Amino acid sequence: MREGGGQFLLIYILRRLALMVFVLWGVTLAAFVISHVVPADPAAAALGNNAREEQLQDFRVKNGLDKPQVVQYAVYMGKLFQGDLGVSLRTQAPIAADLRQFFPATLELTLVAVVFAVLIGLPLGLIAALRHNRAPDLLARIFALIGGATPVYWLAILALNVFHERLGWLPGPGRIDAYSLAPPVRTGLVTIDALLAHDPEVFVDALRHLILPGLVLGAFSAALLTRMTRSAMLEVLGQDYIRTARAKGLPGGRVVWKHALRNASLPILTVLGSLFGSLLTGAVLTETIFSWPGIGGYATSSAVSLDFPAVMGVTLVAGLAYSLVNLLVDLLYVGFDPRVSYA
Amino acid sequence: MTAAPMLASARSLFTDRRSTLRKLLRNPGAVVGLVLLALLLVAALLLPPLLGSPLEQNLGVRLSAPSTAHLLGTDQLGRDVLSRVANGARLSLGLGFTVMLTSLVIGLVVGLLAGLLGGWWDEALMRLTDIFLAFPGLILAMAISAALGPSLLNVMIAVALVSWPTYARLIRAQVLSLREREFIDAARALGAAQGRVALRHLLPNSVAPLLVQASFDVGSAILTAAGLGFIGFGAQPPTPEWGAMVSETRNYISQAPWASSTPALAILATVLAFNLIGDGLRDVLDPRSR
Amino acid sequence: MKRTVSASLSAPASRSLKARTLLALGLALTLPLASAQSARQSTLVIGGDFSDLITLDPGVSYEFTGSLVTGNLYDTLVGFEGNDLSKVRPRLASSWKVTPTATGSQIAFTLRSAKFSTGRPVTAADVVYSMNRVISLKSPSSFLLTDVANLKVGSVTAPNANTVVFSIPKTANPNIVLALLTFNVGGILDSTEAKAHEQNGDFGSAWLRDHSAGSGPFVLNRWDRSSQVALDSNPNAFRRSVNIKRVILRYMLESSAQQTAMNSGEIDVAWDYTPDAFNAALGNSKLKALKTSTFQMAYLGMNSAKGQPFEDPRLREAVRYAIDQDGIIKSLLQGLGRKVQTIIPLGLAGSNPALPYSYDPAKAKALLAAAGKPNGFDVDFLVSTGSCSGGVPCQDLAAKVQSDLAKVGIRANIKQMVNAELLTAYRAQKAPLIQVAWSPDYPDADGNGTPLADYNAKSLAWRNSWSDPAASKLAQSAAVEIDQSKRIALYKQLTELVVKSGPYAILYQPYKPVVTGASVVGFVRNANGDVQFEKIAKK
Repeated sequence: MREGGGQFLLIYILRRLALMVFVLWGVTLAAFVISHVVPADPAAAALGNNAREEQLQDFRVKNGLDKPQVVQYAVYMGKLFQGDLGVSLRTQAPIAADLRQFFPATLELTLVAVVFAVLIGLPLGLIAALRHNRAPDLLARIFALIGGATPVYWLAILALNVFHERLGWLPGPGRIDAYSLAPPVRTGLVTIDALLAHDPEVFVDALRHLILPGLVLGAFSAALLTRMTRSAMLEVLGQDYIRTARAKGLPGGRVVWKHALRNASLPILTVLGSLFGSLLTGAVLTETIFSWPGIGGYATSSAVSLDFPAVMGVTLVAGLAYSLVNLLVDLLYVGFDPRVSYA
Repeated sequence: MTAAPMLASARSLFTDRRSTLRKLLRNPGAVVGLVLLALLLVAALLLPPLLGSPLEQNLGVRLSAPSTAHLLGTDQLGRDVLSRVANGARLSLGLGFTVMLTSLVIGLVVGLLAGLLGGWWDEALMRLTDIFLAFPGLILAMAISAALGPSLLNVMIAVALVSWPTYARLIRAQVLSLREREFIDAARALGAAQGRVALRHLLPNSVAPLLVQASFDVGSAILTAAGLGFIGFGAQPPTPEWGAMVSETRNYISQAPWASSTPALAILATVLAFNLIGDGLRDVLDPRSR
Repeated sequence: MKRTVSASLSAPASRSLKARTLLALGLALTLPLASAQSARQSTLVIGGDFSDLITLDPGVSYEFTGSLVTGNLYDTLVGFEGNDLSKVRPRLASSWKVTPTATGSQIAFTLRSAKFSTGRPVTAADVVYSMNRVISLKSPSSFLLTDVANLKVGSVTAPNANTVVFSIPKTANPNIVLALLTFNVGGILDSTEAKAHEQNGDFGSAWLRDHSAGSGPFVLNRWDRSSQVALDSNPNAFRRSVNIKRVILRYMLESSAQQTAMNSGEIDVAWDYTPDAFNAALGNSKLKALKTSTFQMAYLGMNSAKGQPFEDPRLREAVRYAIDQDGIIKSLLQGLGRKVQTIIPLGLAGSNPALPYSYDPAKAKALLAAAGKPNGFDVDFLVSTGSCSGGVPCQDLAAKVQSDLAKVGIRANIKQMVNAELLTAYRAQKAPLIQVAWSPDYPDADGNGTPLADYNAKSLAWRNSWSDPAASKLAQSAAVEIDQSKRIALYKQLTELVVKSGPYAILYQPYKPVVTGASVVGFVRNANGDVQFEKIAKK
């Protein structure tokens, strides 16, 4: 750390946090406004076709839907500060509890997707940069282009059909086989919970079920990572000091790994934020297809049923997570690169 | 007095452009993209009148394989897949361009105001931009679409609202960097008004990054809109929208893979085309910003 | 020096550790397989879209999946056996007697000796508690006891530990009450257990959402939302499950996922096959394709208010002539529907199988001309998203209807919307033409009769702004008529009236396709949607 840099860093962090809080407040306001533009009656949504008018009215009163908007917003904000995101009109359960229940499934899937994305994207990008303008480069670029343009939900449908139904190589939708009882929930990550419950069969089963959705979800991110790694490496490899090091006779491999990669890691970092965004988006579009009980499927079901409290809850949480990740990335960026100033 | 210099700067744009266009055509990726786009435009504009109706049902030939009567087979209601995909192309391309232009205009206005007015305006507008950028695009678009209700117009509004912040930031960055440049000071010293400075000097110089962004934006808008269509928002049945088509036919993937794969591949091809063009434009116009 | 020593020490040690772990893992993977096989044999796995499940509290649950599960966790006083929905049979009540009283009637039930899963005996006090809590909770299904059976807190009494008496006012029909009590709302729970888990006067509802305290053949093991519901057999139950020890309801939202899982044997029963897949399953010797009945009705609602497009009854008749019901049932449903045109579902006493409207577009056009619309007219057509009854996507059905109507000159402009929004518009009497489904709240002709024919009930007739005093009177009298043959005659009159001038064009009465593995025997789903898991075995 530079002399006196510590204070500047602290001020920077505080400013960014304050900014984030402000942005999130704006987000809650926007979300609240959006959700009250709705033409549908949430009472009818929750109680269904056959409910009588008195039940609907009871529901409205119970959920405060008959009070003026400003009052509703004040109540909402008050509850928010207590961590109460309201009650889902569809599941009739507290949204915070719903999210807590569904979040680990998405977390587990996302972690696997990230692993796949890095395992595929990084080496591919590296090879592409090292064999610039030759066959591997071209193939990597085609992969990156197609990966970035494919509708991920179709990839999911196709992958399931080919690898599960036709070839039988990988298991189908769900986190474990249908006839298995899930291990008692400790972390919410079935793999870890299975290990904790000394159940190796379910552990292996859970891992196998993670492969296909993980690959599909990681595909877009892998494409992104390939492009970024390739361009970052190309930039660095073209730099004078690399050529100098090579001219000096340093072994090629050492040059690449020690200097090039470390310096290329910076621009690669910048893409982490969008990686996270694409993973969230992918989760929303593919969890239903994989019968994956995560946040993405919850968001889709809520949006389709016009369950606005739930939609608002998920959007807020997604916004919070996304902002945090971006903040983290920016801080890492600042921490990594001594040349960047953040006054 | 004002007309002549404006014409001169406009003309200079074109002369620059011509060599830009030539450079673009030497870029292999961009060529592929342009060819692909041309094919899609032909399909969208010329095919529909030649093919049968995308709405006509023929329950007797549901889910039939590609044949001479139906070049790409039929869907679950016996409707011609090729016709539906071609008509869907018109819809998606139109949507992509409209959304891009709308978000461009909004972003332009916001970015210019922020950059030129500075101070409190800048802070406020940038915070507004931050709010919209605090979410992954699809999630915000989904929330907005769910609020407004399922319709093509509402999806367009949602996606435009999600896309404009990028333009705003881009323009503002351009404005801020160009403000420092000497020729702006010189122009101001000569007494030119802010607005004129903006139009005559800032805009032409901002075209490059805007064009690149616009190209990617069209592809991204189409992809997001198709995603929303897949979930159930967007153009209502029986209107042929690509994302909705993939969703409607997904349960028939084993018996009739062509029904869902054709619209999916169409989405892929379209987004790919715009991404390739965008890449090419970036290589040619702004190679430093890779 | 130091480094090499520790390296040599750690290398073999770590290698053998790795080997041991692998060996253990290998053994662990192979050994449980044997016991897993027998466990698999006594586990019934059902794959389906169970996302409508909100709670497993029998007094609150109102959705299809909720009823399916609570029917196996709790016993009702009386029930239906197998597919026969015409006669109510003893369940927790070994016998009962209906007697008229000054104010109406009275049903006295004698309870059999039974035990809850908690070990406590089932007493009359539990029955009283169970009924009273439903009335007090004002849940979505409470109206069945309060509005239809007209019961209040205090209407149900327990003169001794195994007798329960229901006092029913004149305005309710004791036969309907008996039918109502077969519903999950009549499920009897362990009052001591519920009281022990009471919070804020909720009668234990929060706890009962995902815990069970019943005397039924199964106990709730767990409910992982959006993932699975697991039931274990209840050793204390009198309806003991001999062959199936565990039932797993696995959430599988995609029909194609269910199909693949059936083919690979991963699940034993699939709940949501599409008509096409069902057809394919019919020819598959490894599967059993069951066409189970429902009391559902897919129909078009035509707004008959003044100024609305369907004000003239001739236009409504025209629509009935214009719809190609056979085409819908044959092609879209692949035979998974019954052609019906009257408002009481087939299978219930009082239903009318008459089909007065043949597919006649020419006649429809003539009627349009007679009503002053020779060039047809435009109308907004409200349709839901998702899947419609019978497993057919709503938009496909709507597209077919639109096409049929277009052939006679009615230009229907489809407006697809989420169910919530659709219902809002419908309830507000703002839907000019709507495609919906209806299911009677209880297995009795009145379950459809009153809502569809009586404008005063503020149900379907009201939503379509169709007010016919003769129909209302018929519906009301038939509801309380105790003499069965008189009742059937009244319903014949009612159905004939409605089919001529009512605001409905009934599309079909769907079958619910259920596909099971060939080894599954004893699987019966009755028209109510009940499945008795304890009767199932896997050969």
